[in-house]
Amino acid sequence: MKNLLKLTLLLSAVWAMPAYAADTKNVMEIVKQANHVSYYKADDGRAKVNMRIIDAQGRERVREFVILRKDDDETDGKQKFYVYFNKPADVKKMVFMVAKNLDRDDDRWLYLPALDLVKRIAASDERTSFVGSDFFYEDVSGRGVNEDIHELLETDDKYYIVKSTPKDPQNVEFTTYKSWIHKSTYLPIKTEYYDAQGETLRSYTALKVEMVGEHPTVIASRMENHETGGKTLMNYSSVKYDIGLPSNIFTERYLRKVPRKYIR
Amino acid sequence: MIHLSETASRRPKISLWLAGLLSVMMIAMVALPSVWPAQFSALNALKIDTDPENMLAADEPVRVLHNTQKKAFSLYDMIVVGVVNEDHPQGVFNQRTLTDIHALAAFAQDIAWQDKDGKTQGVISVDLMGPSTVDNIETGGAGVVKFEWLMKTPPANDVQALNVRDKAMNLPLLNGTIVSEDGKAVALYIPITSKNISYKVVQKLKTKIAEFNGQDTYHVTGLPVAQDTFGIEMFVQMAISAPMAMVLIFLLMWYFFKKASLVVSPMIVAMVSVITTMGLLVMTGNTIHIMSSMIPIFIMPIAVLDAIHILSDFYDKYPQYKDRKQTIIHVMKELSAPMLFTTLTTAVGFASLALTPIPPVQVFGIFVAIGVVLAWFFTITLVPAYIMLMKEESFAGFGLDQNKGEETSLMGKVLGGVGRFTYARSKLIMLMVLILGGTAWVGITKISINDNPVKWFAPNHEIRVADRALNERFAGTYMAYLMLSSEADTRSLEEFSQSLTQDMRANIMGPLHDMADSVADLLTQSQNRQALIDLLITETEMRMDTVSDEDWDAWDDALTWMGNQLASGETFKDPDVLKYMGGLQDYLQTTGLVGKSNSLSDVVKTVHRSLFQGEASAYRIPDSRAAIAETLITYQNSHRPQDLWHFVTPDYKKTNMWLQLKTGDNRDMTALIEKVDQYFQANPAPHGITHDWFGLTYINVIWQDKMVSGMAKAFIGSFIIVLLMMVFLFRSLWWGLLAMVPLTFTIGMIYGLIGWVGKDYDMPVAVLSSLSLGLAVDYAIHFLARSREMKEKFPDWKSTTKEVFGEPARAITRNVIVVGVGFMPLLLAPLLPYKTVGVFISAILILAGVASLTILPALIQIFERFLFKAQTKKDLI
Repeated sequence: MKNLLKLTLLLSAVWAMPAYAADTKNVMEIVKQANHVSYYKADDGRAKVNMRIIDAQGRERVREFVILRKDDDETDGKQKFYVYFNKPADVKKMVFMVAKNLDRDDDRWLYLPALDLVKRIAASDERTSFVGSDFFYEDVSGRGVNEDIHELLETDDKYYIVKSTPKDPQNVEFTTYKSWIHKSTYLPIKTEYYDAQGETLRSYTALKVEMVGEHPTVIASRMENHETGGKTLMNYSSVKYDIGLPSNIFTERYLRKVPRKYIR
Repeated sequence: MIHLSETASRRPKISLWLAGLLSVMMIAMVALPSVWPAQFSALNALKIDTDPENMLAADEPVRVLHNTQKKAFSLYDMIVVGVVNEDHPQGVFNQRTLTDIHALAAFAQDIAWQDKDGKTQGVISVDLMGPSTVDNIETGGAGVVKFEWLMKTPPANDVQALNVRDKAMNLPLLNGTIVSEDGKAVALYIPITSKNISYKVVQKLKTKIAEFNGQDTYHVTGLPVAQDTFGIEMFVQMAISAPMAMVLIFLLMWYFFKKASLVVSPMIVAMVSVITTMGLLVMTGNTIHIMSSMIPIFIMPIAVLDAIHILSDFYDKYPQYKDRKQTIIHVMKELSAPMLFTTLTTAVGFASLALTPIPPVQVFGIFVAIGVVLAWFFTITLVPAYIMLMKEESFAGFGLDQNKGEETSLMGKVLGGVGRFTYARSKLIMLMVLILGGTAWVGITKISINDNPVKWFAPNHEIRVADRALNERFAGTYMAYLMLSSEADTRSLEEFSQSLTQDMRANIMGPLHDMADSVADLLTQSQNRQALIDLLITETEMRMDTVSDEDWDAWDDALTWMGNQLASGETFKDPDVLKYMGGLQDYLQTTGLVGKSNSLSDVVKTVHRSLFQGEASAYRIPDSRAAIAETLITYQNSHRPQDLWHFVTPDYKKTNMWLQLKTGDNRDMTALIEKVDQYFQANPAPHGITHDWFGLTYINVIWQDKMVSGMAKAFIGSFIIVLLMMVFLFRSLWWGLLAMVPLTFTIGMIYGLIGWVGKDYDMPVAVLSSLSLGLAVDYAIHFLARSREMKEKFPDWKSTTKEVFGEPARAITRNVIVVGVGFMPLLLAPLLPYKTVGVFISAILILAGVASLTILPALIQIFERFLFKAQTKKDLI
């Protein structure tokens, strides 16, 4: 909570947009805007990510990867991700690639260099772990705004507090989740997932936001898994937008041949 | 001592009041903190301890290791629920049953509550293993690998139900564990926050199961369930057996002494002794454990022993004096020494249990010893006091009718006959003793040491039924964990950095040469290898920002090289190591002792197979570290990535093989330990890997070993002490040795019998030896003391025999019957150890009585001259 407070102060300083302006917006607009600033800023982007997975006993594992993203168009619809692993050293050059679809399951590929394999991953749902972290695959690629029914619970001076209930509860582990969406930046600063008993299963917190060009960007975040007692910290560095990524990078050919220019 | 009795007889009312007050105080001291713990926090409340783990002290290395490793691998104690359906051709793999199982798992996952300290207790829902909570990883056709919940929703029809079965049976980690080997039954593994909530969790599960109305049988088992159920059964034992013993003893004494009001006095002695001892036990902060719960039923019969001698003598002598006081004084003079000594020997026998390294056994021994001494004290004070309170008139017609003579009673006649027989056929008796002794010795060599806490329940107990049903169908419900670890790379940080620098200089990669010189500098800022390599990589990355695109790949390769320098510590990503583990597992399977083993090697092979179209030939360990790392990271893309950490620690330095055993017999576990040791001897593991065991099944073996060696020590210790006491009592080495003969013979016979019958030498049997020693010697003490005393009045042993087989033999016989029968109610207890104790202690005491009344007179007859030659008048007691 202390972090949240600091963050709010920081946000109000760097992004001094009048907060009350959006009060009248309807909930779908809020959610769409939040989705946009979280996953669709600019046409493309890249970041280096340092991921620390810390279990309940404080044992830590580190992953480091570069993430490239390109939108197909301006509709906040289809987009591509390319995740290139640097660490741990024994999985270096592993690539995880995603073609995000709105109308059907995303296409996901995994390139395993030592096994010399490209595998498409077919999962029954998108709530599987992202490379062993407490983030789910869906937390990284984004959850479609139309998959839930959203309800604006409350608006305080800083946040829209939105409660979301899945339309297809069979495919998810939670019953509802709540998001604290910052009123001026629309960045979800906190998200909590609950089970049927109202117990918190997991909670996401944006720990640090910085301006990258004109885009307020989360550069440190945390996902806590309250069931296992573990947590995962993500730190973003060298964040860039509009770097002109060619779309042919996001093809099977480039899984085996690193687009060095964009990765280094 | 006589002084004590006299004091009590002078103020009989006060004595009895004081005893009553003491009992009420003791009860209050226990009841108050138990009922109002907050108000009486200074006092110790009643604490129940049902955990067999506590057979070992909490700081015992094997327990410390067990708890550390459980934490390291995030393992919890588990309740196992097995579901069996005998009616449906597909077993439980039908739409209905799987729907119920799905509901049960969901219900179980939500079992949680706050305990009074605000801690969450209940089921560890993320680690619950069942068809609906585990992942299926399989190939999804060419180029596709599939992750899905094995049974996210209940099947819509029986075909889908079979589909679930087939998928599960295809996964080595699930086959035989979640799905039975015949593909017809399902097991849920429900991890719980702590063992002592298992009863509560099981009750909740049972309410849910009661809602289902199919033909399925739900078996609930697992060591924690067994252990938690002990607590309830322990109270049943205490509630049934101890009062039953009281009633039986009362009836027997009434029969012997024909006067109900008089035999109330030993009952008072027994009650006050039990209440005081148990009160002291609780007040001193000790717990009621499976051992200490037997204290009341041990004290009860022992407490009345001295009273029986007093009453027996009183009964015989009263007609002579026709005066309570005179009779009492005579009786106490005659019996004070033997009573004191029998009390002390019994106390020593029990107290010797303090020499065992098993805390609950120590507590048991010490408190029974205390109880025995208390019982002696209350006997010599309260019994005379009670007699003094009875009206003189009420004794009219009481006692042995001198004219009729007790000799004409059945007991009297039989004993008279025995006496004559021992004199006439002494050599025959000794020959029999030698033959029996030899046979017993052979039996003792056949004894098999074994125990299994689940087998403490009667064969038809639901836990035993579940145990059989599940172990017939599944790989096993007994868990043992084999931990492998390696400190292969023991180089110091300095040595590591030196060889790192050399390797970098020698490497053909240019960037490594460039960076080699920085190592020494970075070493000063690093505390360990990880830090050193991290710094080196950061520095290299900074350099890389400035290099050209052409050079960048070479620098990137250098980075990979650096990162891999840490891999030497990650033993369990090494292909050779994983292959070795696979070999060990194959071997385990051939021993016939292991139902199934699950390890990191299985995880890697399964994922590898699913990455290669599910082909059987791909079920293998890939050949490089990187390939293994890739299968492992693939595995972690599932719904349950944390499952990996049950098999290996995140630093890959320690691994855990989960072995499922079909029996929890210590004998089998011990054999397994030996087999594994042999395997490691014959097939040295790579990287100096060492192995160690943990898990409840292993802990049981350790405490059994300690028990067996500890008991031998306790037995020898108490044997020597009792022998010394006998030598002191009789002022003669030979008489002392003589006193030890009947009990030695008896214990030999009983253990010989155990060997011949094939009964396992388990916890209760082990405890019996030293505790029966102190009791069995009592008869010999009384017999020899009275014999020597009476011999003074007669010219030879032949004429003495007649007298000895009068009142003294009757007192002994009454005692044998009372104590022998007094322990019988233990047979009504639901737990087998209690029954074992009941049967064997009765057998030991009856046999010891018989041996005392036959072997001793036979030996005295044979060695008459020698034994009585040394005896002078002043030795008499």
